[in-house]
Amino acid sequence: MSTSAPRSVGSSLISRRTVLGAAALTPIAAFLAACSSTGSSGTASAKLTSQLNIYTWPDYFSDKDLAAYAKKYGVTPKISTYTDNNTLFTKLNSAAGAGYDIVVPSSSWIKQISDKGLLEELDLDRFNLKNLDQSLLNRNYDPHNKYSIPKDWGLLGVVYDPDAVGGEIKTWQDFFDAGAKSGASGRIRMTSAAEETVGPALWVQGKDWNTKKIADIQGTEDFLTTFAKHVKTFSAFDPNALKSGAIVMAQANQAAARNAILLNPKLKWVVPGPTSELWVDSFSIAKGAPDVERAYEFLKYQLTPTVQVNETVYLGYPASLNGLRDKLPSNVKESDLIFGGPDVDFDKLTSFIVNPDTYPTFQDIQNKVQAAAGA
Amino acid sequence: MRRTGDHVLAAIPLAWLAVLFLVPLGFTLVYSFGTSGFGTVQLGFSLDNYVQALGPLYLETFLRTLGFAVGSSLLCLVLAYPIAYAIARRSGRFKVVAFALILLPYLASLLIRVMSWQILLAQGGPLEKVLRAIGVLHSPITILDSLPAVIIGTIAVYLPIAIIALAVVLDRIPPEVVEASHDLGASPTATFWTVIFPLSRPGIATAALLTAVPMLGELVIPVLLGGNKGLFLSQAISTQYVQSQNYALGSAMVVLLVLAVAVIVALLVRLTRGFEGTAG
Repeated sequence: MSTSAPRSVGSSLISRRTVLGAAALTPIAAFLAACSSTGSSGTASAKLTSQLNIYTWPDYFSDKDLAAYAKKYGVTPKISTYTDNNTLFTKLNSAAGAGYDIVVPSSSWIKQISDKGLLEELDLDRFNLKNLDQSLLNRNYDPHNKYSIPKDWGLLGVVYDPDAVGGEIKTWQDFFDAGAKSGASGRIRMTSAAEETVGPALWVQGKDWNTKKIADIQGTEDFLTTFAKHVKTFSAFDPNALKSGAIVMAQANQAAARNAILLNPKLKWVVPGPTSELWVDSFSIAKGAPDVERAYEFLKYQLTPTVQVNETVYLGYPASLNGLRDKLPSNVKESDLIFGGPDVDFDKLTSFIVNPDTYPTFQDIQNKVQAAAGA
Repeated sequence: MRRTGDHVLAAIPLAWLAVLFLVPLGFTLVYSFGTSGFGTVQLGFSLDNYVQALGPLYLETFLRTLGFAVGSSLLCLVLAYPIAYAIARRSGRFKVVAFALILLPYLASLLIRVMSWQILLAQGGPLEKVLRAIGVLHSPITILDSLPAVIIGTIAVYLPIAIIALAVVLDRIPPEVVEASHDLGASPTATFWTVIFPLSRPGIATAALLTAVPMLGELVIPVLLGGNKGLFLSQAISTQYVQSQNYALGSAMVVLLVLAVAVIVALLVRLTRGFEGTAG
């Protein structure tokens, strides 16, 4: 999930009191991680335990479905939350990450987390993959779905007030051009996710955001730091700000945009060209999960069609169920927007994959852009 | 002669401090000289992280954060002093009630308090409605996601701390000293500047310490009220640890921050030297 998701509120929020403490304690976690073996076998227990530990995004399962699962199987999942993939990776990569059965990484981090040996290889025979949208399977971030099964997906797009920005946004170039004009300047929201800031600047230049050329990534810095003065906020998406007019153009995923449009119907949503992001949040089983059997049981339950429809209605993000669009209840408002609009073509979208060689450069630019915005 | 029990009692908080503060700080120091991989650190001795941490971006960030902390702390003190004075020397039997009211906001979590300011300052929010209703404002309020909003939120959060620190010291200035000043013919203004204010220096130093130091590590307020713009040091450190997975650089920045805090504390200790007995 991108940090533009509404539930990733305050992606960088850490308690004021824990700032220095956390900064000081992180090396301990890293040290313990270095001492602990990440290659522990995580042998599947044949006997089910009465615990299921899920580490996921906040409010990412409907209470109704969790209660139904608990009633059916006699286990109430214990849910812990994170607000960005970086935190998930940091925790799994430390001794503090032990004990989770299920985690929900985004497509961008699955390769990095699995490369570190932090995810169990999945037994795909235990799932009915034919039920799932085939275009969400076997994607570049996890070939053959060795470590992940898609939970739901989203897009990076732009929600905007056409009157304020002076026309229609069709491409990322339009986004940057409109942002620099008086109608939108100072009333723009961008995400704090580095790849979602740098990515559009690369796409404008016809470059791939998964490039291994650091010079290409650095090549966006001047443009973005100059553009930064037009940005009002990099904080969590707030639909009320688009309703009040404090923000007139915002990077957002389709669920966040839908919330804003439900408040202010004159807003428009677009997935700008020439390309944009498709992120897929996925179910994975953590390496060394205390109860692999229970984890499979929960995943199979979550992937049943009825539950997937319920989850879609609850979250506003489309689950991975095949033919989901036709299965949604007729009373769901702006249901087309749940899927990013009527004509989203996955083949024209791209998924970011964190590369340890290039990712720090993305972060470095993000820091400079945010600093320039407040200068 | 001290009893064994005293040593045991002292050992418990000492062990607590050692485990939760000194040991992590030790790891931080060791890591700061290492070489970072992605989420790993190769131990060694390199000053590269310090060179990078003192580079233009982070040095500017540090100076900006320092300026923010010193400026906001001073503003806090200026606003807190008259309130603390009134509570300590003018509130009479309502003193306890006044202290309770000042501490009341701490019943809510920091996040809730800051988010309430976010709602209050938002365009179309309650503040705008009130200002429009009384005819003071005729256009939308646009203060949210700006430095002034961060300063307002910071003052609101830290003001009670400064008030309490000052009021405690002002309250303990012996009335006889003030009476003596009056008896010797000093005006109330002269008494304040020559007797009360100098004797309240320990309170000023404590209030400055209790506000400026945490402000240096402030993270929540710039994100929620400042639109996450204008990089603050805590954001830069958090980014290195969590986003960039560069523990070594993050550690070097933490070491430099701790050193800066140590300098501030040393300066304030020097400022209050010779005033230990004020409380009498």
